[in-house]
Parts: sequence; structure tokens; C-alpha cells
Amino acid sequence: MTDKIDAELVEVGDIDTEAWNEFATAQGWSDGLPMIAPTEAKVARFTNSVKTDNETFAPISPRQVVPTLQSLAANAVMAGCKPEYFPVVLAGLRAVLEPAYNLHGTLATTHPCGQLMVVNGPIRTALDINCGSNCLGQGRRANATIGRALQLILLNVGGAKPGDMDRATHGSPAKFAYCFGENEEESPFKPFHVRRGFRPDESVVTTMAAEAPHNINDHASNTGEGLIATISGTMSQVGSNNAYLQGPSFVVLGPEHAQTLARDGWTAESIQEALYERSKIHVSRISKENLESWAGQDRHPVNDHYYPAGSPDHINVVVAGGPGKHSMFIPSFGNTAAVSARVSL
Amino acid sequence: MRIVNPSFGHVPAGAETLKTGTVDWKRDPILLFSNSKPNAKELLEGLKAKLGTVRSTEGIDFVWKPSASQPATADQIDGAARHYRAALLALGD
Amino acid sequence: MAAYVIATETFKPLILAQAKARKVEPRILVVKHPVGGLNAKELEDRIETAWASLKGLVG
Repeated sequence: MTDKIDAELVEVGDIDTEAWNEFATAQGWSDGLPMIAPTEAKVARFTNSVKTDNETFAPISPRQVVPTLQSLAANAVMAGCKPEYFPVVLAGLRAVLEPAYNLHGTLATTHPCGQLMVVNGPIRTALDINCGSNCLGQGRRANATIGRALQLILLNVGGAKPGDMDRATHGSPAKFAYCFGENEEESPFKPFHVRRGFRPDESVVTTMAAEAPHNINDHASNTGEGLIATISGTMSQVGSNNAYLQGPSFVVLGPEHAQTLARDGWTAESIQEALYERSKIHVSRISKENLESWAGQDRHPVNDHYYPAGSPDHINVVVAGGPGKHSMFIPSFGNTAAVSARVSL
Repeated sequence: MRIVNPSFGHVPAGAETLKTGTVDWKRDPILLFSNSKPNAKELLEGLKAKLGTVRSTEGIDFVWKPSASQPATADQIDGAARHYRAALLALGD
Repeated sequence: MAAYVIATETFKPLILAQAKARKVEPRILVVKHPVGGLNAKELEDRIETAWASLKGLVG
């Protein structure tokens, strides 16, 4: 990325909203949507909201520069966040900066992955993060702007500029904003973050380099067994990075599907086990060239099948969404991890 | 109006510009480094054969990343720096 | 150590940008895009192109 401006503070003159957006777009700071100008005063309100988060940040790939709290806040302002959203944005950033996440690979890749943020804990209700109907869609400021802020940070501080250091073949709408909360209130299972070792009263962001969600429609199955068949069938995709690399994924159960599964005795853990086993792909569905390529990487079928997940734990089961007989499958970049970070308040 | 630059950041300490040394391509050991994408190894093998027309192929070795979507390991990078004067990296595809 | 990157013309901007970010002098042998998905005959063209640049270095 070519920085036309190297100073932390920039005098842009007395310009209106339209002129500001023209200026910002010319600098390469935009995701294509209009942005709020990050004035010093606005940025200060954001940095004041994270007084307990004093740890420095690692350099951000691919540009490898160390951000300042001000430059991170500027992106959150531009995304349209409220100041109180900023700690969630920073938790998401800390998670993607963990080495296991493989941020550089996820940004420079040709694969269409965005940074998924799944929010758990009391911060969801405090910030009005949508966990219910249309939680993966438009219409809620917290979801839209928290997800967007993380993407803008990676664009502007990280330098993941499309066509330059972001080499996605097609990209994805998931790269605009990708944030939702777990519907803990309607879930028959323990909250996702509690299953990952956090306390119920902690607020946690879990990130994963993720494809846009794939729908799992099942209106007819009225048993857990039937739903497992449909969900595992949807996950069993030959052309997914998971099939290539056995990475993590998310299964976002709609509350109605989750309740049917729980009624029939399924737990989050037994769902993971079953989906792991039944999403395996028979060798007859895989091209000869791919079979040769995988063999060359010392990856061999087990009883004539390939597993798209490395282990049942790779399949992250959460409950979200509103009424309806739909769930979602979210495959990943493959060589990435679902990484959680506590929100510092 | 004064704004905060959203792309501002500091260069990490110790990240000075790196300069590379000179290479005797006819004698020095050369490492062929594959990004593990399809055809990368074949491309490098082709270049090794071409190099074989002007020098011995002894001392021209292969290494490949664990997978195309993962970085090279620290051991691979250290080993490359320790043992080779030149590297051809099949990376950008 | 001198490292030369073989990159397709399409990915040259990525290599340049990453080299700049890491403060490394970029040394690139550029070949036509793509490399993946080619058969052996098509790949030969890429090998010839890369060799034409490399030959100049080898002398």
C-alpha cells in the first residue's frame, strides 16, 4: 500500500461530507461505502472507551506496521461505530493477530474469506448486537459497524488493499462486515464461549477467516437424526478449502433446529462428532488430479474418504438466528483457527 | 478539520532495509523454494534442469512450504539462510 | 543471501508490495499468468521465460 500521508494527524481543511469521502477514497482508505471523518475529537471519545486495554498490538500483516490506538480508533469512527463498540473491535483485532489465525495468509490469499466475529456474553445485549432474526444480514448498527471496523483496520493499517496485497479471486460480501452474536437466550446448549473455557459473565469475541454463510434448509426433518443428515450433507463439499486443508468451520444452528436436536438428546459435542464423521467425502467425488495432489502432500483417504475437518473440535457449533427452519454452514480459509479473545471493559 | 490518519503505524524496531549479497550462480549452493501450489515444483524442476546445462546440479536443493496457505516454517527459513547463497522462490501465483 | 521470486505478472504487485513492507529489495523473475492448471507443454513456456531472465544472472 502506498501511503500518501505518513503523519498521524492530517489537516484536511474545511470540507463537507462529500469532499471528505472523495479525499478518503483517493487515499485508498475506503471499502467503497461512505465513511465518517475521524476527527481528533471523535477519535478521542473512542480511545477513552478502552482505558483498561493497555497492551500493545503486534504488527499487522501484510504491511507489518504497529498500529497506534488512535489509528485503530480512526477506522472504527470511519466504519460508523459508537465509541462503546470499540472494545469489541479491539478484541476481534487481538484474536486475528494470534499466530494460529494466520492473518497474513488469510489476507493475501485468492480465497474469498472475511474476518468472522462471533460475540458472546453480556456485551451482546449491552450493545444491541443482533443474535436473532437476520443476525447475519443488514439492519443492526452494532453488527454492521463492528465487523466493518475490523475490515477497515486490516485494509488501512494492515494494507490488505484489494488487487494489491489482498489477492482474492472474487472476494466476498463477507469482507464488508461479518459480525453476529450467539443467541444464548434461545440456545439449548451452554454458550459457545463457556464451552471454550470462558465464564458466562465474560464477553468474548471469536474470530475465524470465513467464507460467507451457506444456507442449510431443512423444513421437513423433524428429528435430530434427520437434521444431522442434512447439515452433514451440506458440509460435505468437494470444492471447499476445508476439503483441501481440513480447517475449522462454524455451524450456526437456527434456534428451531437446535431445539429439535436437543429434544432428541443431541449435545453440542455429539453434534460435532456426528458432523465430523458424516461430512466425510468419498473419493469417487474428488477429481483424479486432486487425489494425486493430496497424495503428493502425504494426505491419504481413510476407508476411501477424506474428512473436511481435522477433528470434531474443528466444527464450532453455535446457535443464532430467529424463527425458521434454516441453519448456516460457514467454511473457513482452511489453514486458520477459530481464535477467541476477551473483551476488555 | 484535522483527522487521525487511519493507516498510520510504526515500523517495528529492527526492521531496517535488508541488502542481499552477491552470488556465484555457477558454484554457490542454490535453494529452490516452492510455495506448494500446483505446478510450482514442476516449474522449479524445469529451472533446475536448465541450470544443469551450465553448472553441476549438485548443491541445488528443493524445499516446499507445508502448504500453500501456510507460511514457511522458521526452520525452513533459517536453514535456507544458513546453507544457501541464493534462492529461487516460486511464490506469486 | 540473494532471493529471487518467480511470480506471474498478475501477482507481481503483491510481491512488490510485500517486499516494500518488509524493506527488502524485490528481485522478481516474471512469467505469464497462470502457472497452476497448466499442462506440461504450457508450463514449458513459463520455464523458458523464467530461464531467459535467470540465464542473464548466471552468465
